[in-house]
Amino acid sequence: MKRLFVIVAWIIVALLGAGAFAKIAFDRGEPLNATWFVVAAVCCYLVAYRLYSAFIAAKVLALDDARATPSERHDDGRDFVPTNKWVLFGHHFAAIAGPGPLVGPTLAAQFGYLPGTLWLIAGAVFAGCVQDFVILFCSIRRDGKSIGQMAREEVSERGGFIAQLAVLAIMTILLAVIGLVVVNALKSSPWATFTLAMTIPIALLLGLYLRFVRPGRVLEASVMGVALVLFVVVAGQWVADSPSWASVFTLSGVALAFAIIAYGFAASALPVWLLLAPRDYLSAFIKAGAIFSLAAGILIVRPQVLMPPLTRFIDGTGPVFAGKIFPFCFITIACGAISGFHSLISSGTTPKMILRESHARFIGYGAMLLESFVGVMAMVAACAMPPGVYFAINSPPSIVGSTSDAAAATISGWGFPLQAQTMTDLAHKVGEITLWNRAGGAPSLAVGMAQIFSSTIGGERLLSIWYHFAIMFEALFILTVLDAGTRVGRFMVQDLGGRFWKPFGRTRWMPGVLLSSAIIVGLWGYFLYQGVVDPLGGINSLWPLFGISNQLLAAVALVVATTILMKMGRLRWIWVTLLPMAWLVIITMTASYQKIFDANPRIGFLSYARVLAAQIAAGKIPAAKIAETQRLIFNQRLDAAVTGVLAAMILVLIVEALVHWYSILNRRIEPVLHESPYVATRWAADYSGAAHGDD
Amino acid sequence: MRHAGRLTSRFIRRFWRGLREWCGDAAYETYLRSKGTQSSPCHKLTPAEFYVEQLNRRYSKPNRCC
Repeated sequence: MKRLFVIVAWIIVALLGAGAFAKIAFDRGEPLNATWFVVAAVCCYLVAYRLYSAFIAAKVLALDDARATPSERHDDGRDFVPTNKWVLFGHHFAAIAGPGPLVGPTLAAQFGYLPGTLWLIAGAVFAGCVQDFVILFCSIRRDGKSIGQMAREEVSERGGFIAQLAVLAIMTILLAVIGLVVVNALKSSPWATFTLAMTIPIALLLGLYLRFVRPGRVLEASVMGVALVLFVVVAGQWVADSPSWASVFTLSGVALAFAIIAYGFAASALPVWLLLAPRDYLSAFIKAGAIFSLAAGILIVRPQVLMPPLTRFIDGTGPVFAGKIFPFCFITIACGAISGFHSLISSGTTPKMILRESHARFIGYGAMLLESFVGVMAMVAACAMPPGVYFAINSPPSIVGSTSDAAAATISGWGFPLQAQTMTDLAHKVGEITLWNRAGGAPSLAVGMAQIFSSTIGGERLLSIWYHFAIMFEALFILTVLDAGTRVGRFMVQDLGGRFWKPFGRTRWMPGVLLSSAIIVGLWGYFLYQGVVDPLGGINSLWPLFGISNQLLAAVALVVATTILMKMGRLRWIWVTLLPMAWLVIITMTASYQKIFDANPRIGFLSYARVLAAQIAAGKIPAAKIAETQRLIFNQRLDAAVTGVLAAMILVLIVEALVHWYSILNRRIEPVLHESPYVATRWAADYSGAAHGDD
Repeated sequence: MRHAGRLTSRFIRRFWRGLREWCGDAAYETYLRSKGTQSSPCHKLTPAEFYVEQLNRRYSKPNRCC
């Protein structure tokens, strides 16, 4: 009877999800209520978790709770720490949830709400969650080895090298693009710039407290830090209202770019306890609070989604970024659907802390479902504002026009009615000088979040506070990724340089620290500067590059996973990782080809370079701008070269893997798994970490 | 009523413990309790030493995603 009840309950959940999906996909009447998105996503996640992840756990991976995990065998209280599964879920989610699932869906909203929402949900269920889950399992079985080490051992030496290069490429482009998002969020905004600038002395204060006053007392320090951050969000308004202070904190894009570059260098070179770690603590609490508040706000306010399901820009003429729905929707939304970067986390700290193999399902598959839900909420927040306002915030002046009247006329001409006065009023309400041309996704998401929050608490009176809280939240945790990423990049550069000159590889040798920090900051700083001065807005070039490099790493991870499944003798179920891998290869190769060779200068790097060169040759560029235009031409060619190298790496890896698989299938080589030897667990069947205080 | 009170206080205790573990507040206590620390003859780190060592280790590899 109980079993029958359970079956009926699951059928109801499935039907509810299918109904909500049908409503989202086929409704073409009145604006849709956001509740439909929440119902569709949650029901789909529940069914996927209950059925698909259980199938992978039982049939494909055959998880074995009798086998001791690395945390049991190597328990040292440092790297290997047996951890309660709920706590580890929180750790893992905090590590994988960055700005990507917020910014990507916001940018992809230019196609309408439908393509992005479908990709966020389906991509997560069939690709992203599978990648995270399978890589976590593979790493658990190999004592927590990284994806690079596993690629080297299980696929080939070259596979490991490609994985390392892909990580460095991702780091460089990721840090540049998220830096650009921060620049566009803070540009000409004294309130937001002041608030974010003040988080640095607050972090330094916490760093000193945690190091010398109460070592390691993270909770009490974070409570003080969060209170101070909330205070400076409010104090920012006083700064913006003071003409003398406002002028100090009103910075141009280029000035902000250099400030962020200087910050990245400082965070990489200074002791980690002083700036980087305390900022990370602040960010973790504010991130968790803001994400849960957004979810609650959407459920309480249930906003209408004003963006149409599909816009005219699916044909590739979008103002936010150029390119057709295929492949660019799938490149733009990387994190939230599938992110190669997650494979670094799934093969990093998490496998060393997991208590039992069966927890990999909840942590690997489940945390990615939650990240996908964050992406769906970002999509709702972006689509809940009038489409005209969305395009006004996210379009560069070179597309819509440099005056507010011209821009309003262009956007209205696309079928999204907008008056210039609407933008002036909105900017005034949120306490900004202007909201025109603030590409990057962060300001439009902040407007969407502020409207949802203010409908719950405070009304229009608090709109400006909520807007700047949202900007601070986005910028704070973007900078957390930026400083942590720069530091890791520094270690990679030192590791690489240390092979040629030993002292350079020593992580405590100050000249090496400074030089390697300068190299990694110089790499991403160059791309950031290039994005800031790009007349097309920077996001148009850099975000697709980031998407391509991130999906490249996902392809590497899925190649490793497929190879391991093959060696485990699970040929029958190999489609579980093979199909998402094939999909990723198709979209990354198509996007790379179009970004390099497309004849449309807004899409193809080389054609844009050719157009600019032709303009110089025809004398259309004033003499004073020739040097700047030549730099733009160089940048376009550089972007084309980077994209070409990334695509070539995918091809090499795929060929390498195909040869390897062919040899295994034809029994030319013996499939050798590099798993750690089997050790039976000594923990009782119901052990949940009681010895570690989490019974 | 008493049962509900017991359940609530148990939930709050667990939540508090989980929160401390999640944010790293309880990391030093976990280190002292670990099998490796208890069986090792080496000098046990002080809270300040452990804190810095743990941060240096954590931030030397990718630990924050995009």
